[in-house]
Amino acid sequence: MDIPVLDHAPDERAENLRMISESAAGLLQGDRRRARALRFSDPGFEHAKWAALAEMGWLMLRLPQADDGLGMGLSELCVIARQTGRELVPEPVVMAALIAPALPLAARDDLLACRRILLPAFAQPSDPLPVLRDGRVSGRVRGIPMAAGADGFLVQTGSGAALVDSGAAGMGIRLDPCHDGSKLGSLTLTDTPAETVATDMIRLREEAMLALAAELLGVAETAFDLTLAYLKERRQFDKPIGAFQALQHSMVDLFMELSLMRATVGQAATRLDDGATGDSAAAAVSVAKARCTEGASRITRAAIQLHGGIGYTDEADIGLYLRKAMVLGGLLGGEAFHRARALSLAEAAQ
Amino acid sequence: MTENRDLNLLSDADFRSEIRAWIEANYPPELRNPPKRLHLRENWPWYQALSEKGWIAPGWPREYGGLGLSPTKQVIWTEELERHGCARLNDHGLTMLGPLLIRYGTEAQKERFLPRILSGADIWCQGYSEPGAGSDLAALRTRAERDGEEWVINGQKTWTTMANDANWIFLLVRTDTSGRKQEGISFLLVPMDAPGVTVRPILNLEMHDEFCEVFFDNVRVPLENLVGAVNKGWSMAKALLGFERLFLGSPRQAAFALARLTDLGRHLGLSDDPVFQDRLSRHHLDLEAHKALFADFLRKIERGEAVGAEISVLKIIQSELFARITEDMLAFAGPDAGLTEALDGDALNPSALYLQARPAMIYGGSNEIQRNIIAKAVLGLPG
Repeated sequence: MDIPVLDHAPDERAENLRMISESAAGLLQGDRRRARALRFSDPGFEHAKWAALAEMGWLMLRLPQADDGLGMGLSELCVIARQTGRELVPEPVVMAALIAPALPLAARDDLLACRRILLPAFAQPSDPLPVLRDGRVSGRVRGIPMAAGADGFLVQTGSGAALVDSGAAGMGIRLDPCHDGSKLGSLTLTDTPAETVATDMIRLREEAMLALAAELLGVAETAFDLTLAYLKERRQFDKPIGAFQALQHSMVDLFMELSLMRATVGQAATRLDDGATGDSAAAAVSVAKARCTEGASRITRAAIQLHGGIGYTDEADIGLYLRKAMVLGGLLGGEAFHRARALSLAEAAQ
Repeated sequence: MTENRDLNLLSDADFRSEIRAWIEANYPPELRNPPKRLHLRENWPWYQALSEKGWIAPGWPREYGGLGLSPTKQVIWTEELERHGCARLNDHGLTMLGPLLIRYGTEAQKERFLPRILSGADIWCQGYSEPGAGSDLAALRTRAERDGEEWVINGQKTWTTMANDANWIFLLVRTDTSGRKQEGISFLLVPMDAPGVTVRPILNLEMHDEFCEVFFDNVRVPLENLVGAVNKGWSMAKALLGFERLFLGSPRQAAFALARLTDLGRHLGLSDDPVFQDRLSRHHLDLEAHKALFADFLRKIERGEAVGAEISVLKIIQSELFARITEDMLAFAGPDAGLTEALDGDALNPSALYLQARPAMIYGGSNEIQRNIIAKAVLGLPG
């Protein structure tokens, strides 16, 4: 194939995404030192930082401009999620931003004004959905990051969404410690009073899966960058270890994996922003989530190996990334789930 | 013949349906899904049909008789050819030399050679690799020395695809040995019927004579057969390799193989087998990711952004995915794995694809040398 020279208008969206990405990167620069310090603490993130990010407008990214929001798409949200992954930002702003447009007015105002922190409680795809009946919800939801810091949850149920208070009657929250120093929350709901919310939680969960993929992409990117820098600096046999071909080829393999991860996240976000729904949206999301779960795992593992002994110490930052990928990768469907779902959707589409 | 319309003005969907209908109506049915690359005597009716329609050079600018298609439309074109199981043509003139002459050739060279490529009057082959210059192509030693108004060529080329069908060859030759090896290379056009040119076919693992050795023994061509400036052939050839890597990195081979793996599952009654499903789903996801990455590169090119050495990732990813899929085909085929004929009397030929995937990881710059290049040029690793 030969490549004709074409005159095209500059792609404004791509340019905007680049600007958002750079500004988020600037804002979060060096944040992983803070992330490291917040490990093994409750609730695992800082309210002051939450407020600072809210001040930047991140919580109203997805809110339509008609509602005084920024009216941005999933592509923009994924750019932010990726940057939070890069610096291991613990504040769950992306998940809150995702559900902000779906919340009832009063709850949304509370969220945006930082009076309450509201997070989604999506069912894991393999788990049964909680039941919502007569304004009460019963069931179990697990795998909620930063649940300890939430004042309430938008719970996915078999019949739409239910807004519940963390302190409501019949509400149990269990916090399970994880290797990245955070805790995953499990909600046990027993006739818990809830506000019924008219929104499409299935769609929102798809968007959350994609945001997780983008976050994993960011995790993998920094793991790659740290490793590349290390290979140029660490010397053995009188030369930088990055001069050895075996290590060079390993790095190129990881670079290719990263390129594929980036492409699948970009493609899924663009498709959903362009109006894909139902199965076609789900197929693109699964391609991205499976890829990013697998890729982040592979890249962070290789990063430890390429660092050698120092990579297995808690002191070296690279280990933060391996442990983050372990915790995030399996949320809302791991590699096996999304691989199988992508194939069955593709077969059904033929 | 020329196509009078600018097909870029059609929507992608309209473009696709128009070319699909035309291909279905005009492609010789007996040539669908050939298990081996066809020789000119076999694919000539298809060359002629495309040439007469004015669609033989989708990527060339329209002023030179091409369709001037955007990269996206070129990909659709390739996908439709693949979908129908169309044979690859003897296309070195169309995909390699033509674009090079359009960019670097003199007006006289363009007028002389381009129409004859479009009509099929000239069939070109590419003389790059040599026995001592494979991955290290710039080490090539076939030399051309100036003698009055002629170049005199001596040496040997190898892996010359379809040299036994071609009446012209474009050559990288050494014209200077004094400086860096990249700086003494020139680009020459040589008729295959010139005295002193000898072609010897090489049988490959498929027992197919797709490649040849070409020997040059005091072969004389006029000075005007040089393209570009003396000793400046390397940069032109490298510019061309960029296009080749995009083409070799297109998803076509892996997509074709994955469709055949799906067929194989049906053929063997394995479609619902969990192990088969697991393998299929891995390849499906790998292909989807590769397609997304390929589309990203196309968009960058269409936006006019510079695309550097990282384009080689497409070729590595594509060829290795193609290979993995064919390896699974062989693993599932069991006792049928080594059969030479198609299992279904049509396109389902695991062993042929398995073999074809081997050179795909070697030609166009082996995947190992591509990794070396990316490590240094893209990742900035030392050494």
